[in-house]
Amino acid sequence: MPLSLLRVDDRLVHGQVVIGWGRPLAVRFIVLVDDGVRLSEWEQDLYRMAIPDGIELIVVSTAEAVRRLPEWAADPRPGILLTGDLATMSTLHAAEPALVRRINLGGIHHRADRVERLRYLYLDPSEAALLRTMADSGAEITAQDLPTTPAVALAALL
Amino acid sequence: MKARAQAILRLLAVQAAWTYERMSGIGVAHAAAPLLREHLAAKSRAERHAAIARSAEFFNSHPYLAGVAVGAVVRAERDAVPGATIVRLRTALSGPLGAMGDQLIWTGQVPALMGLALAATPWIGAWAVLAAVVVHNVLRLAITVWGLDLGLREGIGVGAALQRSWLPRRAEDAQRLAAFAVGVAIPIAVAGLLADIPGIPVMPIILIGGIGAVLAIATRTRARVTGLRLGLVLLALALLVVGGSR
Repeated sequence: MPLSLLRVDDRLVHGQVVIGWGRPLAVRFIVLVDDGVRLSEWEQDLYRMAIPDGIELIVVSTAEAVRRLPEWAADPRPGILLTGDLATMSTLHAAEPALVRRINLGGIHHRADRVERLRYLYLDPSEAALLRTMADSGAEITAQDLPTTPAVALAALL
Repeated sequence: MKARAQAILRLLAVQAAWTYERMSGIGVAHAAAPLLREHLAAKSRAERHAAIARSAEFFNSHPYLAGVAVGAVVRAERDAVPGATIVRLRTALSGPLGAMGDQLIWTGQVPALMGLALAATPWIGAWAVLAAVVVHNVLRLAITVWGLDLGLREGIGVGAALQRSWLPRRAEDAQRLAAFAVGVAIPIAVAGLLADIPGIPVMPIILIGGIGAVLAIATRTRARVTGLRLGLVLLALALLVVGGSR
């Protein structure tokens, strides 16, 4: 079964992911792709605290994720893959475009150099350019914070 | 007023400056400011301003547990933890504090107190509501003080301290108590509300309940409609049936 959700969210593991998406998709594992968290035991402990019983949290680096994408795509359990930034998701898309095709923008929040596109989506020029590049190479990108809200197509964002 | 007391008072209004841009960030920084001024007194003005600016960045968690993050960040700043690590600490705290707060408060304490108040209303009337409000706010204050002190004590190690604390277990207990209280309250409230209505149409109401149960476990429904919305629609339907039968 392909991963049920490939999401970019700078809050990483939190309620919208675990409950908002996790429950309706009946998710059984969440892959957190973040080089910093991969090296930090205390951060992993904190993120595990936000995971309910019955869901496995897999924390990997970007390089490990590239190697293991086919394994997760073949996993019969529904799963979510999370990255904290667009650059990481772009790397995964470039490595496995067929497996990392439908990408959800779930939360990229305010920073001084970013411009608001949606209430939960702020982009700087380089991030907007990266999204265009990914879309040009076949990625289907939409913004949607929760399954109960409408998905917004990339064309409407840029 | 001492810095800790100021921080506690400010934490009671941590969402007063809530925005989509920074969510609770401004409120968290406002609560942290007196503590940062006290704990970073030996540092330069620029370092203190940088610490407050970090505290004001985007942050989202359960408001009653925001004190944990405020305390941990202040302690980490005092311990001269690098700024980038402190930003990561705030991000990593957001999820668990939100999840545990939701379990403990919104799906635990609040429905438990509402259920108990509803169940007690036939006997003690409006005093039950007043008691529920008072108990809720006393617990809210206690949780805020506990969280702030835990964060100030543990700093960057607050995650392990949270895991060892009463919070994860009591969050589960609170949800069980809520289910029990609401389960007790519903038949008592329904009996009171429908006592004077003759000839209640039982079968249509059972049918509505059955349809609701099926929709509640259907994956496609859960993806589109929250349980609250589904419950309110079904309740409205049941009331229409009862009203139509009179």
